Amino acid sequence: MKKLSTFVNNANISRFRFYIQLLSFIVLIYGGYAYISIGQNLPTFACPYNHATAGNCFLISLQHQLHNSWQNLLGFRGIALLSAIISFLLFFILLNKAWCGYICPLGTIQDWLTSLRKRLGIRFARYEESTFRKLKKVKYVVLVWLIVAPLFIANSVFGLPRLSHDFFPPFCTICPARPVLPLFTGDTSQYFIDFSSPITLTMTALGLVIVALFLVGSFVKKRFFCLFCPMSALHYLFSRLAILRLTKEGEKCTKCGNCFRVCDVNIVEIADDVTHRNIVQDDCMMCFKCVEACPEDGCLKVSVLGLPIFVSSEEGFFHRYGPLENKEIKDA
Amino acid sequence: MPDKPMVNDRYQRMQRTASIHLKMEAKNTLQKIVEEFPNNPAQMDHFYRKARIFTGEEKFSARGRHVVATMCIHVPIELILAAGAIPYRICSGAYATDQIGAEFLPAKSCPLVKATLGTIFLHLYQYDIVPDLIVNPTTCDQKKKLAELSGELTESPFYTLEVPPTRDSEDARIYWQRVVKRFARRLENLTGTKITRRKLKGAIRQVYRAQVQYRRFFNLRKGLPVIWGKDAILVTNTYFYSDIEEWTNALEKLNGELEQRIANTDRVVSPRAPRILLTGSPSIFPNMKVPILVEQLGGIVVAEEFCSSSRLLYDTVAVDEWFLYDMLPAVADRYLKPCTCPNFTPNTDRLRKLLDHVREFTIDGVIYQAFAGCQLYEMESRLIGNALEKNGIPMLYVETDYSPDDLGQISTRIEAFIESLKTRKKKKD
Repeated sequence: MKKLSTFVNNANISRFRFYIQLLSFIVLIYGGYAYISIGQNLPTFACPYNHATAGNCFLISLQHQLHNSWQNLLGFRGIALLSAIISFLLFFILLNKAWCGYICPLGTIQDWLTSLRKRLGIRFARYEESTFRKLKKVKYVVLVWLIVAPLFIANSVFGLPRLSHDFFPPFCTICPARPVLPLFTGDTSQYFIDFSSPITLTMTALGLVIVALFLVGSFVKKRFFCLFCPMSALHYLFSRLAILRLTKEGEKCTKCGNCFRVCDVNIVEIADDVTHRNIVQDDCMMCFKCVEACPEDGCLKVSVLGLPIFVSSEEGFFHRYGPLENKEIKDA
Repeated sequence: MPDKPMVNDRYQRMQRTASIHLKMEAKNTLQKIVEEFPNNPAQMDHFYRKARIFTGEEKFSARGRHVVATMCIHVPIELILAAGAIPYRICSGAYATDQIGAEFLPAKSCPLVKATLGTIFLHLYQYDIVPDLIVNPTTCDQKKKLAELSGELTESPFYTLEVPPTRDSEDARIYWQRVVKRFARRLENLTGTKITRRKLKGAIRQVYRAQVQYRRFFNLRKGLPVIWGKDAILVTNTYFYSDIEEWTNALEKLNGELEQRIANTDRVVSPRAPRILLTGSPSIFPNMKVPILVEQLGGIVVAEEFCSSSRLLYDTVAVDEWFLYDMLPAVADRYLKPCTCPNFTPNTDRLRKLLDHVREFTIDGVIYQAFAGCQLYEMESRLIGNALEKNGIPMLYVETDYSPDDLGQISTRIEAFIESLKTRKKKKD
């Protein structure tokens, strides 16, 4: 048992993650060809605009379920909505935000763009902390928009006129997954501008601008889109229910900042917060690069139901960062 | 050789006498360290020999490479190595040069600064080599002014490394990363060697190997007392002026021997001896007054929180993308973020570190060494003392300097402290 845990703690989790991401990508994008259907309420971007998708993104079913009159929502439609949320939660609590770091195809594409940039030896961009703090709020705005807009389209609230149906689905029309993911099955039909009304024109044009931003942004900035992702915001609301956890023992932290240095999503709390045990922040995608970079034994810990499965260690750090000529450290 | 100071009879006389005094001082301290303690590890011989450069018995050759002298722990060693130069730290612990420096500095200055100034002024560097560059980080006020004063007195080529006064803010980090980048350019100009991706990676790995051994050594001391603290302090002291590979290999051997000792429960001192944590102004050879006294009087130093030991080598560089654009900031971060030097404010991390050491090393008491005139450590002692008291850990505050005058007085105090720790320990058992 001790040998196994040492083996895991010394392992290169980033490489492991690469293969898991590749596998998930293939399953989610091409699974439909093999009649795989994982579910309608996946807590990740499995986009149904891609005809071969192996499941549906929860955000699309959420928008559809909310696109109902109040009466319906208080009746059987409400039960359908509730069951959708429960099925989302059941998927979500298994992996917590690791859905972002390990499964999400859109995240994987961003990581591949990062690899491409690295290959070319081009340096990455970083936000200033103050900019980051402002930008990260955008995802909550988008989340509120995608929840409120369907209700406003279907109902008149406070006697206000209803929102135009042209906005529907309010998030999907601007989501980069809709045009990007079908590309992998050779489908370019999502690249269009809809001139039927000023609203569709604006939304579809905005959607195309966002795709362009997505591709350029994630090339220069690691996980560029995740900062604005409403799924990430939704995850965070339920993060504490999940069984997969990332915890930090502040006493063991020397604040060396290694974890923050390697963090793809700029989370400074991982290094500077020495009081909270649950260290998962809203932007965290649980890639566990921070655990890899931490040289303090047992300071950062990944656990399932309280059982540690991957723990930071001095030995692991040096294994990953500097090939050791001296193997004797194992005995120390 | 010095041009500016009057290379007159007086200067030469000072140089001659100080050099003789320094050698005597080093010889005396070494004699105490080596001969007055039983059961020194055989592998310590390498480090004893290294310390003999102060007595002139050990020689060193720069092998045609440039020598970059450093002060404090904020100077990125990796860059110096990557530029093909030899780093060596000139912070001095010698009373002989302390007296020389005193001539130019206010009476209430820190002995470490005085001694270092004396060293620079008289060119009494270890190895008798003349540094091609002296890197002076702007840490405490006295170190800051040291360069200006030395520049007035000698023609040594100084380089000011601008250390920010805080380290938690993003501004400080970015500022420091820029300073380090500029320093890299300066080193390239000096040696004519470009710091390439491969060279810097090699240097980072070289330091990793030293850190692997250092951390192993550090962790060993959490258990059975198998090595005296005075030896441990000497080990990290010799890192100042050793070839890094040679030092790493020697420490690896020492670690092997110590692990053997642990396996054989071959202690250097009885388990009843109070386990002491030393912190504050750094003990630098030949000023080993306090650690030697502690251990002669029945204690054992199992951990030090000094810039001459754990702070120097413990923390590591983490690079995300192994290109210069990420490696340089990574190296910079390693010298800023985890540094618990009191020149930074706030410095609560030092307290957290001490409390961690107290737990990890099962410390019985803390001895806080503050050099008279070392204002930052003197001021921080109150914060540290209060917090330790709250946690029920006795602390002795010792104000001292490099002169042997206060030996009697502090030995009485340390003795009383250790006796009280012994009684406490007995009661606990």
